[in-house]
Amino acid sequence: MKRFFIIAALWVPLLCFANSASAETFTCLACHSAMQGKIRTEGNALIDINVDADRYAKSVHGGFDCVTCHKQFQSNPHESARSGDVPKDIAALAGKISRKAKADPVALAACMQCHGDAYAAWQESVHGKNVMNGKQPDGAVCTDCHGSPHYIVTKDKIASHVNRKNIVKTCGECHEREDIAKRYNLGTQIVERYDESFHGKKYILGHPNAPTCISCHGFHDVKKWDDPKSPVAWENRQGTCGKCHQGATRKFVAAITHKPYGKDNPVPYYFEKALILLLLGVFAFIVGHVILEAFSEIRDKVLKKEKEEHHE
Amino acid sequence: MNREIPKEYLRFNVTERIQHVIMFVTFLLLSFTGWALKYPEIEQSKWWISIWGGPKTAGLIHRAAGITMLLDFAWHCAYLAYSLSTGKMKLRLNTTIIPLPKDITDAIKNILYFLGLSKTKPEFGRFSYIHKFDYWAVFWGMGIIGLSGLFLAFPVTSSYIFPAWSVNWIWEVISIMHSDEALLAIVFILFWHFYNEHLRYNKFPMSMTWITGKIPIEDMKHEHPLEYKLEFGDIEKGK
Repeated sequence: MKRFFIIAALWVPLLCFANSASAETFTCLACHSAMQGKIRTEGNALIDINVDADRYAKSVHGGFDCVTCHKQFQSNPHESARSGDVPKDIAALAGKISRKAKADPVALAACMQCHGDAYAAWQESVHGKNVMNGKQPDGAVCTDCHGSPHYIVTKDKIASHVNRKNIVKTCGECHEREDIAKRYNLGTQIVERYDESFHGKKYILGHPNAPTCISCHGFHDVKKWDDPKSPVAWENRQGTCGKCHQGATRKFVAAITHKPYGKDNPVPYYFEKALILLLLGVFAFIVGHVILEAFSEIRDKVLKKEKEEHHE
Repeated sequence: MNREIPKEYLRFNVTERIQHVIMFVTFLLLSFTGWALKYPEIEQSKWWISIWGGPKTAGLIHRAAGITMLLDFAWHCAYLAYSLSTGKMKLRLNTTIIPLPKDITDAIKNILYFLGLSKTKPEFGRFSYIHKFDYWAVFWGMGIIGLSGLFLAFPVTSSYIFPAWSVNWIWEVISIMHSDEALLAIVFILFWHFYNEHLRYNKFPMSMTWITGKIPIEDMKHEHPLEYKLEFGDIEKGK
C-alpha cells in the first residue's frame, strides 16, 4: 500500500509537466542547464556538464528522468557517483564499455533498457567487439553515431546525425581519420572514393535511391568485410548488391573496392592522365585555331577597308 | 546547255537535317542533365539538377536522350550505307567527308594564312578540314561516350562481357571515359562548332543551312570553291 502511494505521489508532478520531463529532471536541469564548462570525472575524462534544457525537451528522450539513464546519480544533489542502485545487467555492460565511455558508462549501458535489439546487434559488430573485447578507446558506441542522447531526434529529421543526409558525414567522422585508418588497416580514402563514385555523386546530388555507407555495410551490426556475416563479404555481396542491381554476378560485385587510384590501381590512374593529355591537346588546338582565325578575319576586314579607302 | 546558276544550293537534304536536329537536341539534353553529376560537390549543381526535375528525373532524361542519340547515329550510318549503295551519294575527292592528305596541308596552309605567313587561303571542297573534324568528332564521341554510357546504364549486363582480370579497374576507366570525353565534346562544340557555324561575323547568330538546307551561292563560291567548280564550273566557262 505504501508503494502505491509513492507511485501515485510521483504521478502528480509528472502530470503537471505532461509530455515533458518530471519535476526531478527539472531539479537536475536547474543547475545543469545553467552550468557551463567541463569537469574531470573519476575516469579521468573531460566532460561537458551543460545540458541544453530546451533541446533536451524537444529530443525523443525529452520526457525521461535524468536518472532513467544516469542511474548512479539517484541522490540529488549527487555527492558521490556511486550512490545509485544499478541493475546487474546494465552494470555488467557498463563494465565492458567503460574503456570507451569514461563520462558515465552506466548511462551509456542504460540504452539497452529500451534499445535491446540494437545493443545486442552492436555487441556483435566490429565496433562493439573492438570496444568490449579489444578494450580500445575507438570503435563507435551509440553516442558516436547518434550524438548525445540528450539531443537525439528521430532519424527522419534533418538534425539527426543518422539522417540520410548526414549519415556519410557521420561515418566519415572516424573513417576519414588517418590514424584510425592506419591502426585498423583500413583505406584512407574510403569516403573520398565513395564521393567520387556514381553512388556517392548521386547521393550528394540528393538522388533518393543512391546507396549510403549503411545500405551496403549495415549499421548496428556492421562487420569487417572478412567476417563471413558481413553483407560485403565475398559470399554475401551478390545478395547485397542485388538489392538494387538484380542479377548481380561475382564479376559485377568486384567493382566496388573504395581503393584509391595510383599504385594500387594503376590502369585508371594512367588512363585518366592520358585522357587529360588528349583533352588539353585538343583544347589547345581548337581554342588556338578559333582565336587565330577570328583575329585573321578582323585583320582581313581592316585591310580590305584600308584598300578601299586607298582606291577612293 | 540551258542550265543556270541558282541563287542557292541545296547542301543538306531533309533526312540529313532531321538527323542533325535530333543530334543537337539530344546533345544539349545530355549535356545539361549530365553536367551536375560531373561536379556534384559544387553547391550550384543541386540547383542545376533541380531544374531538370531532380537527380532521378534528370537521370531518366539522360538515358532517354542517350538512347535516342545512339539510334539517330545508327540511322545516319544506315542512311550512309543505303545512299552509297544505291548511288545517291557518290564518293568524290572534292565532296567527300573522308579525311584526305589534302586536309592536313589545308590546315597548315590555313594556319599560315591566319599568322600572315601566307597570302592565299586554301581552297576547300564540300567539306573543309574544319567540317571534317566536326563530323568525325561525333563518331569518336559515339564510340567512347555512347558505348561507355551503355555500359553504365546497364552495369549488370555489361559485367558479363568484361573479362575477369579487368573487374578491378574497368568501371573506373568507363566512368572517366564517359565524363572526361563528355567534357571534351562540350568544349569542342562550344568552341569549334559555335565559332564556325554561329559566331563567325558573316554567319552570326547562325548559319540558316541547318533549317533550309541551302547555302547562298556566293557563300558556296567563297567557302567551298572546289565543290562550286565541280557543280557549276561548266556553266561559268560557258558564259
